[in-house]
Amino acid sequence: MLPVAGSDERLLADAVAAYARDLAPRIPAAEEAGAIPREVIADLGRLGVLGMTIPEPDGGLGASSVAFALVLEEIAAVWPSLAVGVSVNSGIAEGTIVRLGTPEQKKRWLPRLIDGSGLASFALTEPGSGSDAAALRTTARRDGPTWVLNGRKMFVTNLRYAPVAIVLARVGEMDAHRPHAGITAFLVPTDAPGVVIGRAESKMGLLASDTSPLTLEDARVGADAVLGPQGTAFGAVAMAGLDGGRIGIAAQAVGIARGAIDRAAAYARERRQFGRPIGDFQLVRNALARAQTDISAARLLTLRAAWLKDRGRPFTTEASKAKLFASEMAQRATHVAVQTLGGYGYMREAAVERMARDARATTIYEGTSEIQRLVIARGMLSL
Amino acid sequence: MKILVCAKQTPDSTVRVKVAPDGRSVDAAQITWAVSPYDEYAVEMALERKDADASTTVAVVSLGAARAKDSLRQALAMGCDEAILVSGPGAEALEGLGVAKALAAVAQEAKPDVVLCGRQASDDDQGLVGAALAEALGWPHVATVTKFAPADGGPAGSVNGIDVWKEVEGGHEVWRAPGPVVLTVQKSEKEPRYPSLPGIMKAKKKEIPEKDVASLGIGASLPKPEIVKMEPPAARGGGKIMKDGDAKRTAQELARLLREEAKVL
Ligand SMILES: Cc1cc2nc3c(=O)[nH]c(=O)nc-3n(C[C@H](O)[C@H](O)[C@H](O)COP(=O)(O)OP(=O)(O)OC[C@H]3O[C@@H](n4cnc5c(N)ncnc54)[C@H](O)[C@@H]3O)c2cc1C
Repeated sequence: MLPVAGSDERLLADAVAAYARDLAPRIPAAEEAGAIPREVIADLGRLGVLGMTIPEPDGGLGASSVAFALVLEEIAAVWPSLAVGVSVNSGIAEGTIVRLGTPEQKKRWLPRLIDGSGLASFALTEPGSGSDAAALRTTARRDGPTWVLNGRKMFVTNLRYAPVAIVLARVGEMDAHRPHAGITAFLVPTDAPGVVIGRAESKMGLLASDTSPLTLEDARVGADAVLGPQGTAFGAVAMAGLDGGRIGIAAQAVGIARGAIDRAAAYARERRQFGRPIGDFQLVRNALARAQTDISAARLLTLRAAWLKDRGRPFTTEASKAKLFASEMAQRATHVAVQTLGGYGYMREAAVERMARDARATTIYEGTSEIQRLVIARGMLSL
Repeated sequence: MKILVCAKQTPDSTVRVKVAPDGRSVDAAQITWAVSPYDEYAVEMALERKDADASTTVAVVSLGAARAKDSLRQALAMGCDEAILVSGPGAEALEGLGVAKALAAVAQEAKPDVVLCGRQASDDDQGLVGAALAEALGWPHVATVTKFAPADGGPAGSVNGIDVWKEVEGGHEVWRAPGPVVLTVQKSEKEPRYPSLPGIMKAKKKEIPEKDVASLGIGASLPKPEIVKMEPPAARGGGKIMKDGDAKRTAQELARLLREEAKVL
């Protein structure tokens, strides 16, 4: 299950790692500017990263979820802001279109999500509905040949780069006993009338990743915008999409932790205090060894969930375990990394400072740690 | 147009090499291998030609150990059409002229319009093979090349001379070679491209034919000079930081140090 050197998965990940390494000098300015340069997204298109998991007949490479997890880890080890954008585009948005899209929808949207001209969005969260996603209030109403959408979506990743957003909205009145009924997914072109992209959020970390509100004011889309069977999107799009997405976020967390701990280890070799490298001190070694073991464990959980997904086996709880463990692990690991660099680790110039802030989001988005525990326990208890 | 690129596998320039305990070789266990940087520019230069004219074909040849296949795969993943490995007993021990003769045998068979070599390899920095290869083929050679293109004129598809841009002091010159030519490459227009993921998967499936160096009829090898000693560069002394805030005094002191201590002025 763990791809060895020379396997297809490792070859692909190593190639992306080589590209990502060379991005490093550009990151501080891009984080400062709060944007991923368009050329970087174009590069990922050219390199075939953005379409790597799309089946070959649909214009992709048909690579496995395992390969994709390894690739996301490599990107996140260098630039977490970029990794989350790729995860949402290629993991959630493309994955959902491949799974549920009509041939026309695939033909219309997949090429634009593969070629590096943009990154797609997935808009579920609302001001009043986060963990309780089924409480969403955005509405969709049929009007002759078109649909009219109204509502407000929050914290939408990639929105500024997105040619299209998958928007979850409710068709018909909310039934308090079956709140998820009626929820329908729409492929909303971001240039459709009535689509308003709000001001980008100012965040703690992931500064180059776009997180913006989306307002739908009588937004009009065609009948061909409905993605998957009407009224089934809570399970078929939101929950299923997030199951896959969680593997991506787990991989991102593994990458962040590894990037931070690699830097801490390099520093512990060089930095001398009391006449020797600080890596000579048992307390420092203990912290690094724990973090390194944590990273390996998280990677195995992540790859296991991906491996199950590749085989068409149920992977919901495995993805939740991976996401829970990896994201919590990344908090500990980045904490150790900052601590190991001492005062230098607290300074903006240190990549570990950025990574500690970036790691923080991983226990929150695509289901908080608490929600992951609910999912895991539900699988155990069937209550 | 048909292009043949000669690419040597050398220790990756980003890896710090260590002298082995015998004091005359590098510690092989520490090494990751890669296409020598100037040869990588040559690959990129060939692919830039292919970008400009899709009918161009690019073959890449490497002479050396069996592991050089990995580097050939890298070149295929970047976009080269085919790859040839020249290997077998004695291949690694060949001196520069022998390498040139072996590559000449490959070139005679492949019949390219242009052969590209890096200007020198990053391991021995001898810079011999490209020029010697031209000699062995009886072809002209142009050095420190930064670009080439087919000269204008002639029916489509035919190669009617090759225009070659080369770097010279303070600018560049354009030379025209009449027919098949060997170019030694200084730098490509763009940085060498990253292999794409589809490129990697395609390259994996490609057959890389192997030629036995002994079958190329290169004759007796010349005596090869032997490395008797390797020394790492002397450790650098600590730098000096001048902390005086006054710019004028700092500049004066810097000038004095450069003159009296470093003796560079
Ligand atoms: C950087 C970033 C990017 C994002 N990108 C996207 C995006 O692209 N698309 C999108 O749709 N959303 C996105 N989100 C939103 C994200 O998915 C939500 O923030 C998340 O699901 C939590 O919802 P909430 O913020 O409303 O918190 P709430 O649901 O209000 O939760 C607040 C706290 O209560 C806890 N809690 C809630 N319910 C329970 C329970 N039943 N049991 C125990 N504890 C509970 C939570 O765990 C949390 O600690 C993004 C968020 C961030 C930070």
